[in-house]
Amino acid sequence: MNEYIGDETNHAQEQKEHEIEDPELHKLILPNAEDLPLIPPSSVESNFVSYFAPDFMKPRHDQYIYRHANGKKGGITAIDFNVGKSDRIGIKVTGKRKKESNSALCKVCTNDATYIVRCCVKGSLLEVNGRLTKQPDFLNSAADREGYIAIIMPKPADWLKVKDSLLSLEDYKKLREVS
Amino acid sequence: MANETQDASQATVNGDNAQSLCDVVRGLPSRAVVDLWSTGVCTRCILRLFGIREHDYYRSSLSRSILSSVVGDSEKHLVDSNVREPVVCRVCLGILQFTYSVDNKLVVERESASELAVSISDLLRQQGFQIDSFSLEVSIPPIIQENDRIAWLYMKRKFESELWFQGKSLSECISAKDALKISLTEILETMLGCKSSISSFHIRLTYTHRIASITVDSSNEGCKRRKTGSGNGLDRINDDIKCSGFLTSEADAVVERSFVSLQANESPVCLKLPLEQSSEPCCLEFLCYRTQIYVGGRYLKYSRNVSQSCWIIDDERMGEASVEEILGSNVLPICRGDNYKFHAAGREDIDVRMLGSGRPFLLEIQNARLVPSDDSVKSLEIAINNLENKLVGVKNLKLVDSQSWDLMREGEAEKQKQYVALVWISRPLKDEDLHFISSLKDTHIQQRTPIRVLHRRSPLEREKIIHWMRIEKIVGSSQYFLLHLCTQAGTYIKEFVHGDLGRTQPSIGSILSCRAEILRLDVTDVKMDCFLTE
Repeated sequence: MNEYIGDETNHAQEQKEHEIEDPELHKLILPNAEDLPLIPPSSVESNFVSYFAPDFMKPRHDQYIYRHANGKKGGITAIDFNVGKSDRIGIKVTGKRKKESNSALCKVCTNDATYIVRCCVKGSLLEVNGRLTKQPDFLNSAADREGYIAIIMPKPADWLKVKDSLLSLEDYKKLREVS
Repeated sequence: MANETQDASQATVNGDNAQSLCDVVRGLPSRAVVDLWSTGVCTRCILRLFGIREHDYYRSSLSRSILSSVVGDSEKHLVDSNVREPVVCRVCLGILQFTYSVDNKLVVERESASELAVSISDLLRQQGFQIDSFSLEVSIPPIIQENDRIAWLYMKRKFESELWFQGKSLSECISAKDALKISLTEILETMLGCKSSISSFHIRLTYTHRIASITVDSSNEGCKRRKTGSGNGLDRINDDIKCSGFLTSEADAVVERSFVSLQANESPVCLKLPLEQSSEPCCLEFLCYRTQIYVGGRYLKYSRNVSQSCWIIDDERMGEASVEEILGSNVLPICRGDNYKFHAAGREDIDVRMLGSGRPFLLEIQNARLVPSDDSVKSLEIAINNLENKLVGVKNLKLVDSQSWDLMREGEAEKQKQYVALVWISRPLKDEDLHFISSLKDTHIQQRTPIRVLHRRSPLEREKIIHWMRIEKIVGSSQYFLLHLCTQAGTYIKEFVHGDLGRTQPSIGSILSCRAEILRLDVTDVKMDCFLTE
């Protein structure tokens, strides 16, 4: 009998906890629907600046770089690889050396060819996207988000060297004639 | 007018004291007194070697002519007409004579403790301190304690056969430090109008002696050499001797034995102190300061452009202000302190508001000239909450003790936090979504260190718990909603919503099988017990 009542009170308690009791607070947090943009900028757009390295190593093999400016110490870059449409993609990560400069990041196997993806920026390798081994199709389906290949931290000097050879989003769009 | 009466009463007091002081000195064995005087020991040191404790005797000024006349009366034949109180006592190096140098240059000779006390209280007033208690701390060169033991052993050698020496022991002697405190404390209490006790306000007297510190080392080495040389079973005596100033009873034996070896060659027993008679007194530095006081409470942050702590990179400030500076700059002048340190229980990003009950914080104020009253603190809270730009607010502001520090840090990692986020998803919200989200309790998520902090935090995968969630629909929008959630401390909320390129799993996006973005975040509750409204 007692236990049953206990449960009831717990449930009511929980409900109460989850309500925002304070009307003042509620006024502060509630936005005006009219002020909200139709489609907000994505976290990638807000936090990163995109750069593109077209035809890296091979024609039509473009690399995307997202650069996060964490203070002045040198940003973090995430790299994606545009493989083009292929049916089956397998990916194998090669080597995990700390410093990479134009050295191999991983191997991508498609139906008809095998590519070695090289890194277009010199820096310390922080992380390789392990999820790609289980879900290599991310490279295609989510090339600009979950399909990133690696996270690299370049030294500011190294980044500046490479930066000038990279294209901005607008320039890349013009080059590839995409919208 | 007041000053004159004060001086007059001092004189009478001193007059009375001088009389009783003479009586006391007369009561001591005169042979010993004269002997010690002639070897350069000051009257107050003689008093303390004889275990005289009453503070009046230490306070009063000593007229040199009175002194020699005290003994002269009864033992004139013993008195050399040149016997005087030494200018700088060989045992206390001037400390108990209230003679000291300032900055190793100017030598100051005070007649009595009250003059030293006046210098101290002047310093206090200059600095603008307001106090209701004080703690007196004294630091003296270690050699003085050694001198005490040597002087005592000398007395023992010379006078142990005398009647008056029977039953006396070194433990009856009053240390120089204690004697100084005895002479100063009551006067300071009267002058400053408050009692000496355990207090946050400290008066520190530091005596140093240039030569004495060097001599201690060499005399200690001397002891070591004798130790190995004599082979009298002294090998047992260990490194205790090396510890400056604190000689053990075994060390006494060493010192005494060294006396014996010296006296073997010289017939009269004489007082051999490590330091040659010097005209240089100790150098005194005194300072007054208050240890940290703490002002605690909870703060709210209403702006999305204010960082918690002062954030400046390459001379460029991030945001328009910081909570730390707003609170610190308002509290510091009320306490008239030197500077402040800000501590909070956790932190939020610059673009995240801190609402609801607020976040516990502590402001540590250093060397406050005054401790504000409860009313002052209440007015301060009102003043901060009425600042024109309304960027920051405070609740429950009050003076707290250092234990609050532990209270705040305790369980910081376990405490839960409650948030509300403005979320957008890439498809319209369905009713099933609301029910599903509400049904999830204590969801475990894996978060890799977010990319935005990878440069300063180690790359790890951390498991966190989302205790509960609730969706609140927004009128007029099908893809925006408010997400209320309660999570374990240390959870990255933004990454939980947008997924951080798949590095936080699950995320709101993966739970609702769509893309999710977070526009705004507010902290609505920091669930901790400290600094709550009573």
